[in-house]
Amino acid sequence: MIRSIEKQRNILDFTLSSLWRRWGKNLALVVVYTLVVFSLGSVMFFTQALKNEAAIILRGTPEIIVQKLVAGRHELIPVAYAQKISAIRGVEAVKDRLWGYYFDPVGQANYTLMVPEAIDLNDNEIVVGAGISRVRRVFRGNAMVLRTFDGRPVNLFVKGILSPESELLSSDLMLISATGFRRLFGVSQNDATDLTVKVLNKKEIPTIAAKIVDTLPDTRAITRDEILRTYDAVFDWRGGIMIAILAGAVLAFLIFAWDKAAGLSAEEKREIGILKAIGWETTDVLQMKFWEGMVVSLSSFFLGVILAYFHIFYASATLFEPVLKGWSTLYPDFRLTPFISGYQIAILFFFTVIPYTVATIIPAWRAATIDPDVVMRF
Amino acid sequence: MRKSDGFWLFIGSGMLLLAAILIQAHFVARADLPLLRQKAAVVKNLGLTDLCLSTEARYTRHLSQSDWHAAFQSHPLALDHFPSGSVFAPPGTLKKSHD
Amino acid sequence: MIELQNIRKVFNEGRPNEYIALHDLSLFIAAHQVTALTGPSGSGKTTLLSLLGCMARPTAGRIVLQGREITSLPERFLTDIRRKTFGFIFQQFNLLNGISVIENVMLPAYPLGEPFSTLKQKALGLLELFNLAHKAAAKVEWLSGGEAQRTAIARALVNHPEVIIADEPTAHLDTRLSREFMDIMRDFKAQGKTILIASHDPLVHESQVVDRVVRMRDGRIIDSGAI
Repeated sequence: MIRSIEKQRNILDFTLSSLWRRWGKNLALVVVYTLVVFSLGSVMFFTQALKNEAAIILRGTPEIIVQKLVAGRHELIPVAYAQKISAIRGVEAVKDRLWGYYFDPVGQANYTLMVPEAIDLNDNEIVVGAGISRVRRVFRGNAMVLRTFDGRPVNLFVKGILSPESELLSSDLMLISATGFRRLFGVSQNDATDLTVKVLNKKEIPTIAAKIVDTLPDTRAITRDEILRTYDAVFDWRGGIMIAILAGAVLAFLIFAWDKAAGLSAEEKREIGILKAIGWETTDVLQMKFWEGMVVSLSSFFLGVILAYFHIFYASATLFEPVLKGWSTLYPDFRLTPFISGYQIAILFFFTVIPYTVATIIPAWRAATIDPDVVMRF
Repeated sequence: MRKSDGFWLFIGSGMLLLAAILIQAHFVARADLPLLRQKAAVVKNLGLTDLCLSTEARYTRHLSQSDWHAAFQSHPLALDHFPSGSVFAPPGTLKKSHD
Repeated sequence: MIELQNIRKVFNEGRPNEYIALHDLSLFIAAHQVTALTGPSGSGKTTLLSLLGCMARPTAGRIVLQGREITSLPERFLTDIRRKTFGFIFQQFNLLNGISVIENVMLPAYPLGEPFSTLKQKALGLLELFNLAHKAAAKVEWLSGGEAQRTAIARALVNHPEVIIADEPTAHLDTRLSREFMDIMRDFKAQGKTILIASHDPLVHESQVVDRVVRMRDGRIIDSGAI
């Protein structure tokens, strides 16, 4: 037992000396490999954290949202529809919502304008999200000039800034009074953006949603479950971000594996021959190659995972910012709650360390089974 | 010190750091619960439906509210004008109604 | 010590480039002696040496080592016997570049799982014996020809083999270093080791140290030099 541990330590010693000889090449390998683990790990941590966070905080979204569709597009809904929906059995309350988008040419940013139920605002007051405050450098007490649908400027006073902790939800929000909203966008008193429906028995939500669409065929109903499922699907491994990065990582691994499988250099083969000639068995040589794969992949794995963790949870996923931000100028500054598990780490391990180690051993197999006397013929 | 001992030291500290990260993440997640509840309250009070991750297009700002016929432009591999539009999958509600 | 019975070795058997390296050859090597194999290149010296050292298997015939038939042993056992019984010195020294002298010397003992400290002591002792202790940490490619050769000899000795096998050891050495090599062989012989050297260098097979010269040609023994 002690002998076989000592043997592995000896072989590992030699492997490290051997790797050290080409430290430049091996360091480059570790750096590239670390990057692969880092990007995979970052995506995994990021999507998993968003998925968990969305599942918790979006539990409070409206139970059913009813939107009117015209030619496949979301249109303003007549407030009168509310009465028809109220008449359906099991509906507790129907409320009209006013919300929409405003492109601000000054900040070159899109804002989400919304009329809150819970906050009292007079016609010239707004509350803005921390992102808007940052982009437009407006603070409590400042005024912002917005242009109405017919081109008139309106002065709006910032009554408050939404808490920076909720930036993941409210960064681009601008809360405005109903009168202010209608004046800005020219929405008549008879229309709303959509309707929210509160249901008495939560189990009946799907049934009632179906009844609403039945009663009002030009509408669609979005249930709370569907919203939660959307976020579950978007940040699933089959989701867009995951596919995009996974594809890159898989390609990188293919290059790795191809390079390894393409065979050992003549120098490496000669060395394996020498080892066999001086008394190493085939299994000893394979163990050496195993350690070689382990040294490179374990080092990269730990470095990559640890860097990914700090990237996502302490550096606000800075490297994903350009992707999510795209051509827009407003990007939320948020800190995600670190929902990570041993399971995720195990998955990362199996997708990175195992394939690389296997790719190192297999080509060595053929070289290691040569007869030791070959070395005498060089 | 032997080279192999140095390696084990490196791997050992990597494992310890990873374990520390897992434990720390667990406690931070627990400590964040009030914050998450506070965010859930914001969602409830304002009647929000989506996370504000990308503001450039309405189907990426409000993923769950996008138009049915935005499905094509929201497809993961669509050559979209917006980078974010090509990385978000179409919402489940749309996939269901098109399947 | 080692007995070869009707050994035949064929390379690339059944293919157009088939080549018979050894024809029906029998030989007995006695213990505690220095035996030199000589003959022109291509006469089968190296092939015979690799068979004697359990590095390769004969196509036909039997090899008996210390009363034990070894031709049919599986690779694992053969390797085990080989690394405990034989120490090899190669024509090109075959040291691993980029690795320190002492590690090169310890290399054959690594798979045996000996504790590192005793192994290191043993290797240092050998290096001291060959005046190389000051070079222990140096990389082998910085060594002079003589130092490289002594390192190769130290490596051959690290597992305390009973038999030393040397293939054209003086091919890359000048006269002075070749003499030095033969002096080292004399010391080994005095210690009771069995030594096998393949060489066509007269300096080797005419040396006083050599007890027996086996002459070969075209894969056959033409003079077994029996005493």
